[in-house]
Amino acid sequence: MEKSRAQLTWSLVAIVGFLTVCPVVMLALGSFSQGLTAFGDLTFDKYVQAYTDPALLDVIVNTVIFVLGSSVLATVLALFLAYLNTRTNIPFKGLFTVLSIVPMMIPHLLFSVSWALLLNPTNGMLNTLLKNALALDAAPFNIYSLEGMILVEALLDLPVAYLIIAPAMASFDVALEESSRVFGAATWRTLLRVTLPVLRPAILAAFILGVVRSLASFAVPSVLGMPGRVNVLATHLYEMISLGFATDYGKAAAVGMSVLVTSVTLIYVYRAFTAESEKYVTISSRGYRPSVIELGGARLPLFAAVAFLSLLMIVLPVAVLLYTSFVPYTMVPSARAFAAMSLKHWHDVLDDPLSLLALKNSLLLAIGGATLGVLLSVFVAYVTVKVRTRASGILESLTFLSFSFPGIVIGVGFMWFFVQTPLYATLWALLIGYIATYLPYGVRPMASAFVQVHSHLEESSLVCGASHLTTMRRIIVPLLVPGIVSAWILMASMFIRELTLSVVLSRPGTEVLAVQILKFSDDGLWGKLSALGIIMIVISTTLVIAATFVGMRFKAADN
Amino acid sequence: MEIRIRGLSKHYHAEGKTIKALDEVDLTIPASEIFTLLGPSGCGKTTLLRCIVGLESPDAGEISIGDEVVWSKARGIALPPEKRGLGMVFQTYAIWPHMNVFDNVGYPLQVRGVDRALVRERVAATLRFVQLEGFENRPATKLSGGQQQRVALARALVAEPKVILFDEPLSNLDAKLREETRKELKAFLGKLKITAVYVTHDRVEALALSDAIAVMRAGRIIETGTPRKIYFDADTQFVADFIGRANLVKARVRSQESARTLVECGLGTIACERREFGAGAEVTLCLRPEFIHIVPGEASGDNVVNARIDSRVFVGEAYEVELRAGAEVLLARIDPDSELDIGDAIHFRLDPAHCLLVSS
Repeated sequence: MEKSRAQLTWSLVAIVGFLTVCPVVMLALGSFSQGLTAFGDLTFDKYVQAYTDPALLDVIVNTVIFVLGSSVLATVLALFLAYLNTRTNIPFKGLFTVLSIVPMMIPHLLFSVSWALLLNPTNGMLNTLLKNALALDAAPFNIYSLEGMILVEALLDLPVAYLIIAPAMASFDVALEESSRVFGAATWRTLLRVTLPVLRPAILAAFILGVVRSLASFAVPSVLGMPGRVNVLATHLYEMISLGFATDYGKAAAVGMSVLVTSVTLIYVYRAFTAESEKYVTISSRGYRPSVIELGGARLPLFAAVAFLSLLMIVLPVAVLLYTSFVPYTMVPSARAFAAMSLKHWHDVLDDPLSLLALKNSLLLAIGGATLGVLLSVFVAYVTVKVRTRASGILESLTFLSFSFPGIVIGVGFMWFFVQTPLYATLWALLIGYIATYLPYGVRPMASAFVQVHSHLEESSLVCGASHLTTMRRIIVPLLVPGIVSAWILMASMFIRELTLSVVLSRPGTEVLAVQILKFSDDGLWGKLSALGIIMIVISTTLVIAATFVGMRFKAADN
Repeated sequence: MEIRIRGLSKHYHAEGKTIKALDEVDLTIPASEIFTLLGPSGCGKTTLLRCIVGLESPDAGEISIGDEVVWSKARGIALPPEKRGLGMVFQTYAIWPHMNVFDNVGYPLQVRGVDRALVRERVAATLRFVQLEGFENRPATKLSGGQQQRVALARALVAEPKVILFDEPLSNLDAKLREETRKELKAFLGKLKITAVYVTHDRVEALALSDAIAVMRAGRIIETGTPRKIYFDADTQFVADFIGRANLVKARVRSQESARTLVECGLGTIACERREFGAGAEVTLCLRPEFIHIVPGEASGDNVVNARIDSRVFVGEAYEVELRAGAEVLLARIDPDSELDIGDAIHFRLDPAHCLLVSS
């Protein structure tokens, strides 16, 4: 028993170690080598070339502004929403749950495209509307700018920041605030001196996760930054490996090393903050109930602000894509536009062999990848939760490592590896890359499922006379099913929309949905893009609804 | 069925240190009795229970249940828990949340391949026994703590096990419910005439439920006996102190008389229940607070101690007082309506039968 567990642990360390360490090592090796197919002698040439590039300074400045700007904005918005939801009497609190979940169904690429359709300076729909309405000479907004990128990225990172801050705020022990009030501090002073400092670890954790995510973000910079020549590190890397005649994976690896080191460092800082944040959570056993702050006259205006945010984040992006998929070319909604509506783009897409291939590949990767990924996650979660040896600690750290991987950088690392193997340019390459990068998304729900299965439940079955096999079949597996289902669906919905890794690893024949959509975006084929995008949203939404349904069914079984 | 344990050892290794969870334990648990393993946390009582049921493998020794050896290092016998035919109530109850009451209770029969109709009948009978008649279709997680406890008991009983084991089954209940459940459990077990092994760190639980108690410390069994023997007539200071509140007074044996042992101590010369100690031996005199009966004023005589009230605390059903007699301070209880106050002189007479001598 002990021996077979140790064997299992070490083989998992080997598998996960390969998945997470291999791209990092290959990236490092690649950065010191002569070229993608010929490693040659170790050399610093690529570092010298990459870091003496005069364009790099601009790129770094842009990246810093973009990353910090979007993370600050996302955190502040999340704080505002979390406070309104948990601590005030704002109406329609259900809207907050929707706000925190629904944006996850809209892939980042499509969200960015929809904002380009709304606010691009030449024919963005909102711009045109405003220009006509206010009789302006030029478009009032330009989304193809650093400000535009910051806004869109912040809206995309907002749900994640909210999901970190809101629970911390909900479990806040109100006695801490009440005592501050008793000692004479007013509401604002209490907020600044007590509430926010106590929540600091959660706020910092949300901010740092925002930094990591925006640093890795490729959808926003490629759709909104590249048209205006505003490059950040992610797009700078992309240009090195995919544009022009001389793609240079060595130079990309050299730049990527810095991004990866930054990202890994930040994610460990993030882990320290979340651990501290859990330490700060102080609900006493007595029934706690945060005191609700009466908003009074501010109630409706604040609700209007939240409703406006929901409109920006959910309704507008989907509506604009749906609309664009039916009109022949970009035009402001009008009687003429509605008269011209047709299914032409839908027919084009469904007749386009490349789009169909991408759809087929994405579905294959989502189903196959999620199945294999969950299988691996089950074992990894079992070992990290139930075995608890030094080896299982190593496994946990390895799994967590991939949480910090910026897709495009890790893609370059994998590229160096796959090009040496027959897997190059096959779907297997994408499959392995997907599982390596998204493993934490499978392990987390499985780990919490395993935590629920107290060892007494298992032992009790053995004492009752059931064999190990029967115990597995009747006790352990049924208790794990909800975790397995939600892990599968989470992974599948990640894979169906995957972009950042795919733009590096995808080759002719292995196109996936997001890559195909990016191609349409580069070519300005907005109608076809929207039709394919809606198909993607429908698949991903169906998966999320299925997950909710399955979750409810299992809850119902408990009742 | 009788359980015999011989030379059982179990060691854990943690942070470079070896912890002896069980240290050469020899124990015979008689058939059809409620036998309690009592001790402070970390004394090895739960490890011993888990070794009996088969969830843990000892490092050395032998365990037999009835005529069957279930574990033996020397003979290479290691019967897995599912083959031992026992019943167990876990500390967390281990009620399976995805099953209803019927499936939880019927599980031991289902896995043995018992006919459906018979399972139904036996589950109903067992549920009736634990007073949960008609609860079959309730989801197990929607029951109260006390009801879950009874489901766990029903599950342990349904397959008519040779032995039923309890691992601190009341520790998850709040104080009031714990007392009620303890009485119920006592009633259930009294009707069953089954061999039961009960693990607890709660001395009241042990005294109230058991036919016999084994007190454990640091992986060893210190003393075994009936509740009255353990309470009134413990052999060691550790057991005397652990099983109830006790005033421990250092004493020296003066002489042995026919039925008494005379000792010198801070309270004077006290005649005690006879114990075989040589004259001059250093011993501890153990006095339970409830046997110190206070009378106002001073007095003299055999085994009479004069003292003064040093402090007085009202605890509801009584005053707890500290008495100063020479250099000794003794804890005692007086009636809540007593007129006695701090500084008052009092005396009390010690009954030799309640003066327990233990080796220091």
